[in-house]
Amino acid sequence: MADCPRRQEGGASVQIQDPLFWRAGAVSTTLVMLIVLAFLSIDSYGYIRAGGINVPAYDVINRHIAYEYDWSRHASTPVVGEEELLFGQKFSADEAAQIMRKGKLVIQSRNCMNCHTFFGNGAYYGPDLTKSWLDPAWEQIWMPMTGKETKEEAMVAFLMNPDQYPTWQRRMPNLDIDEEEARAMVAYLKWLSAIDTNGFPANFGRMQPR
Amino acid sequence: MTPVLFLLTAILLGLFMLCGGAWALLYCLGQTRGSKMIMRAGLASYALAVILALTIALATPLQLKWKVLIMVSGLAYAFIPPITLRYLERLHAAWEPHA
Amino acid sequence: MSTSDSHTLHRSETLYRSQKLGMKYLIAAVALFGVMIVFGFLSALYYLFPGMFFNVFDFNMSKTLHIDTLVIWILMGLIGSIYWYLPKELGREVVGIRAAEWFFWIFCAAVAVVALIFLFVQTGKANMWTLWFIQQGRKYVEAPRWAALGIVGVMLVFSYNVIGTAIKANKVTGIVWVLMIDLIPLVGVYLFAFDSDTNMSNDLYWWWWLVHMWVESTWEILIGIIMAWVLMDVMGTPRKIVEAWLYIEVMLVLGAGILGLGHHYFWIGTPDYWLSIGGFFSALEPLPLLGMVVHAVYDAGMHKMKTRNRPAYIWITTEAFLNFIGAGIWGFMMTLPQINLFSHGTQWTVSHGHFAFYGAYVCGIIAVLYVVKQKVSGMELLAHRRWYWGYGLLNLGMIGMVSALLLSGMAQAFFERATGGSTLMAFVIASEDPWFTAGLWARAGFGIIFAAGYVALVYDLLASVKQVPLPTDQRRPSVVRSAEPEVA
Repeated sequence: MADCPRRQEGGASVQIQDPLFWRAGAVSTTLVMLIVLAFLSIDSYGYIRAGGINVPAYDVINRHIAYEYDWSRHASTPVVGEEELLFGQKFSADEAAQIMRKGKLVIQSRNCMNCHTFFGNGAYYGPDLTKSWLDPAWEQIWMPMTGKETKEEAMVAFLMNPDQYPTWQRRMPNLDIDEEEARAMVAYLKWLSAIDTNGFPANFGRMQPR
Repeated sequence: MTPVLFLLTAILLGLFMLCGGAWALLYCLGQTRGSKMIMRAGLASYALAVILALTIALATPLQLKWKVLIMVSGLAYAFIPPITLRYLERLHAAWEPHA
Repeated sequence: MSTSDSHTLHRSETLYRSQKLGMKYLIAAVALFGVMIVFGFLSALYYLFPGMFFNVFDFNMSKTLHIDTLVIWILMGLIGSIYWYLPKELGREVVGIRAAEWFFWIFCAAVAVVALIFLFVQTGKANMWTLWFIQQGRKYVEAPRWAALGIVGVMLVFSYNVIGTAIKANKVTGIVWVLMIDLIPLVGVYLFAFDSDTNMSNDLYWWWWLVHMWVESTWEILIGIIMAWVLMDVMGTPRKIVEAWLYIEVMLVLGAGILGLGHHYFWIGTPDYWLSIGGFFSALEPLPLLGMVVHAVYDAGMHKMKTRNRPAYIWITTEAFLNFIGAGIWGFMMTLPQINLFSHGTQWTVSHGHFAFYGAYVCGIIAVLYVVKQKVSGMELLAHRRWYWGYGLLNLGMIGMVSALLLSGMAQAFFERATGGSTLMAFVIASEDPWFTAGLWARAGFGIIFAAGYVALVYDLLASVKQVPLPTDQRRPSVVRSAEPEVA
C-alpha cells in the first residue's frame, strides 16, 4: 500500500518513517512554543508599557535623565533625577502623552527609521537615536551653531532646518518639520533616552581602550 | 569584554559553526561516496570545531551559560550528521519504490 | 498512476489558469527583483557620494523602495510558486481563480502607485492622513494603510483559493495541510503592519511579531512547501519522503524560531530574561538549516546529480548551503547578547540580512523559475550552459557584497560601539574609518556584479533553449514519481 512504509524490524522504526509522526511533533512543538511566547508576552507587557518597569511614563520629560553604568547588572542604566523642565514647561501626564503621540507621528510620517535607528532598529545611514538626548554634540556643536541657549531649543532649530546646520559630509535632509513637530520630536527623544534597554548602547558617551 | 576580544569572539563563533557545517557536509559526502579521504577531512573539521569550542570556553569573556551551550553544541555536532544521515537512509528505504 | 512525463508539459497540454496566474506573479516578482537591485545600488551610492540628490531624493526613500520591493517580490514569488503547483497538487483548477486574477492586477497597480508616492511625495505631516495615504514609516511596512489593506485583501483571496480548492477537491495532502495552517499566522501577523503605537517599545515588540514571524517562521515554511514540490518535480523524490522532511523542518524551524523571536528583544525595553531565552533559541535556529545541507548532500549522492532540470536542481541545492551560511553562520556570529550589544544596528546586520534573504528565499524562487521555464518550453531535459552566467554572477556578487558588508560592519561595531561610545562623534569616526569605507566601496562593486547576474538570469529565462534529448539511461518512465494526490 502506498500509505505504509515497507516493513522494518520493530514497531518503533516504522513510526519514525511515518510523516504523521513528525506532524504530531511539529504540532505539539509549535503549540508549546506559542503558549510559552504568549505567557512571556503578557509578562513583558508589564515592562514595556509606558509607566511599566523598563519604560517610564511620558511625563518623565519633566525630569533630568542620565545614563550610568550599574555594576550590579553589568549594564548601563538610565537614571531619572531631579526636576528639569523641557522648554521651560511642566507637562501634565495628558500633555506629555499628547506631545509623545505627535512625536511618534513625526517619526513615522518622515520615515526617520529609514536613515536612523531607535534601539538599534532601523537604518544605518544616520546615527542611532536611542540616547540622542544625551549626546554631547547638542551642547558642543549645535548650541553654538544655532545660537540657542538651551539644548532643546538647539535641537528644535536643527530639526526644522537640518540642512542649514551640517556637521559632516553626510547631511540630514530638510523634512519640512514645523516648530510644533520639532518640539514633539525633542520631547520624544528625551523620553526615549529614559527607557531601560538592558544596556544598549553600551558605555554611551565614553571611549573605551581596545 | 574588550573591543578586540569582542571581535575575536564573534569570529570564533562563526568559525565554530562553519566547522560544524563542514563536518556535516563532509561526513555525508564521505559516506554517500564511500570516500575515506573525505571522511578524514570531515573528522578534521569536527576536531577543529571542538578546538574552537574549547578556545571559546577558555579564552573568551562570554558568560558561563553561553560557554556551556557552545560545549554542548560541540558534543552534539558529533552525533547530528550520523543520526540525520541514518534517518534519511531509512526514510528513503521505506518509501522509495523498488528500483 | 502518472508517468514520468506527467510533469513535463506537452504541446497539447494546457496550463491551469492558476498556473498561468502563478507565472504572472513570478514575472512580476522578477521585475520587482530588478527594481530592488536598482534602488539597492542607488542606496549604496549615497554612502560613497553623500551629497547625491540631497533634499530631492534622499537615502531613506531609496532604502524604503529597496526593502519594500524586496518584501513584495519575494512574497509574489512565494505566492506565484504556490499558484503554479497547487492545481497539480490537488488535481483541479483553483477555486476562486477569477478573484485571484483580479487581485493580481490590483496588487500590481497598488505597488506601482505606492512606488510613485514614495518617489514623488515621500513624506507628509505628522497626522493620520499621512499614515493612511502617504507613508507609515515603519520598516518594511512603510506603505500607506490603504495599500496595506490591499495586501490583506490579496492574502485573504489567496487563502480562500488554497482552502477552497482543498475543500472542493476533497483532498488535503500533507503539503497542503501545512500550507493551510501556515496561512493563519501569515495573514494574522500582517495585521501588525497597521500599528502606530506612541510607545516605541510596544510598537517594536509587535512589529517584530510581523517581521520575524514572516521571514523566520511562516515564510520559511512556505519555501519549505515549495521546495517539497520542486524536489518531487526535479528529483522525483517520493511524496512521503518530502512530507516527513517538511514536518521535521516545520518542527525544528518553529521549535527554534518562535522563541528565537527573542533575539529581537534584547534592547527594546523588554525584560532581561529575553537575553537568555532569545540567545539560546536563536542559537538553535541554524539546526534545521544544517539538516537541509545534509539532505541536499544525500540527494546529490543518491541521484548522482542526475536530474531533468539542472539549473533548478543546482539552485535548490545552493539554497540549502547559502541558507545555512547566510542565516545560520552569519546569524550565529552576532546573536549572543554580549556580541550583539556591539554589533546591533550596524552594517554587520545588513550583511547578515542580505545573505539570509538570498540564501533562504531568492535561490529557492529562482529554482521555481527554472521549473516553470522547463514546463512552459516543453523541454524534457533542461541542461544547457547559459544559466551558469546568472548563477555564477549572482552568487559571486552576493557573497562579495556580504563579505564587504561584514568588514564594514565589524569596523563599525568596533569603532562606533565598542571603543567609541555610540555618540554622533563615534558614528562619524567609524564611518570614516578606512576599513569601513573600503567595505562599502567593495559592496558597490560587487553590487554591479550582482546586477549583471540578474540581467544574465533574466536573459536566460526568456531566451529559448535548444531541445536536448534525455540521456538514454533516463528515458524509461521513472517509477520514482509522486503518486496522485493522496488524502492525508
